[in-house]
Amino acid sequence: MMPSVLPMIRAAASEEGGEFDIPSMILHHLADANEWATPFGVIPLPQFAPVQVGPLTIDFSITKHVLFMMFAAFLVALMLILAARDAKRSREAGAERGPKGAANVVEAMVLFVRDEIALKNIGHGGERFVPYIVSVFFFILFCNLLGLVPWGASPTGNLSVTMALALITFVIVEVTGMRELGTKGYLETIFYAPHGMHWAMRLPMYVIMTPVEFLGKLTKPFALTIRLYANMTAGHAVVLALTGLMVIAVSANALWVIPAPLIMAVAIMVLEIFVAFLQAYIFAMLSAVFIGLIRHAH
Amino acid sequence: MNLNLLAIAAAGTEPSIFGINVGVSFWTFVIFIVLSVVLAKFAFPPILGYAAAREQRIQDALDEARRQREETEKLLEQQRQELQNARLEAQSLIAEGKHAAERVRTDMLTRAKAEQEELVTRARQDIERDRQKAIESLRREAVDIALAAAGKLVGKRMDAPEDRRLVTEYLKSVDSANGAGAA
Repeated sequence: MMPSVLPMIRAAASEEGGEFDIPSMILHHLADANEWATPFGVIPLPQFAPVQVGPLTIDFSITKHVLFMMFAAFLVALMLILAARDAKRSREAGAERGPKGAANVVEAMVLFVRDEIALKNIGHGGERFVPYIVSVFFFILFCNLLGLVPWGASPTGNLSVTMALALITFVIVEVTGMRELGTKGYLETIFYAPHGMHWAMRLPMYVIMTPVEFLGKLTKPFALTIRLYANMTAGHAVVLALTGLMVIAVSANALWVIPAPLIMAVAIMVLEIFVAFLQAYIFAMLSAVFIGLIRHAH
Repeated sequence: MNLNLLAIAAAGTEPSIFGINVGVSFWTFVIFIVLSVVLAKFAFPPILGYAAAREQRIQDALDEARRQREETEKLLEQQRQELQNARLEAQSLIAEGKHAAERVRTDMLTRAKAEQEELVTRARQDIERDRQKAIESLRREAVDIALAAAGKLVGKRMDAPEDRRLVTEYLKSVDSANGAGAA
């Protein structure tokens, strides 16, 4: 098989202007696009004319990342609904039977997210937030994992996506704060001075602390956005760079070089699987922590 | 070969990985919210609800098991206590029985000894009385013989009460001397 593949790779490599350009290859793979490269050719995705919404010109086209978010959402829904069906069946079969097989794995993961991520960090009465934390965990996990599949893409390697997800967490956190602390309590999370302090001391406290508290609110979603995006992008960039090295080795007729980047690429790929889980865990965990923090503010 | 990713991104001719496409963010909201609604409607009630119900059931079963074990232990302890009590009672009964037997034995022994002593005393008294009786009759015999002999000697019948009194008195003096010696 190898000898027949090699000329193809050489041809593909030289197609891009004679010299194989690793950075543009990496960017091409990581960036969003209006087409989806499959083994059966490049499929163009629907493009809509940009819509003017106030000062923004928004392109509502279904891009590659949007498509893969849909895949991820579909897979998450499929997996959890199948597990739910098993749970329902086991419930009807008799009170003493737990879930079986794959449904058991899914249920164990859901319960892990519920107990170890959501309830542990949100604290008493955190059951209301469990569906959100579980949904965001599985959605991000599947978005991450889809980037590791051949011809796949990671929507979570796109700032627009991670920003939107972080904004959802931000809104939930702030709305929870307003609901649970009341107007006065919520305002104290921005304008804060210790109770019983003299007004002359409170004034500088307000002047100094208000920007800090306000920035603190904004840095949380910002950190969530950047952490997830950077982790997914960086991992894929490393794998792609090592893959590019192999292509260069082929086109330079230096086949003996290949094992080194190959082994490293495989190792990084395995690490990426771990990172996919880890980042989903961290995003869900931090969302839960932020909700817990604002519920128990001051 | 340009290795500067940032430069490429800024140039704008290549696909960018740094820009924010609000349309994609919009789709992210839509997809995630649809997913959340679908999951909340079809997946979470069974999974989380049944898991919670099952956990409750397991907790109940554990509580019930603990309650039963505690009860069993209580019963066991009670039975052990009762057994101990029964053993103690039996021991005290045995001890009491032994004690009673000892007392009866001592009692009987004492009574037997007393009876024996009484018998011996009575026998001694009988012997003494018989002896006295014998001495008495012997003395009377002796008086009669002595009077008969003296009558023969004197030639006349000495049977007057005065004579009898004389002899008896004499014999009495002899007897008291002898009796002191014999006792």
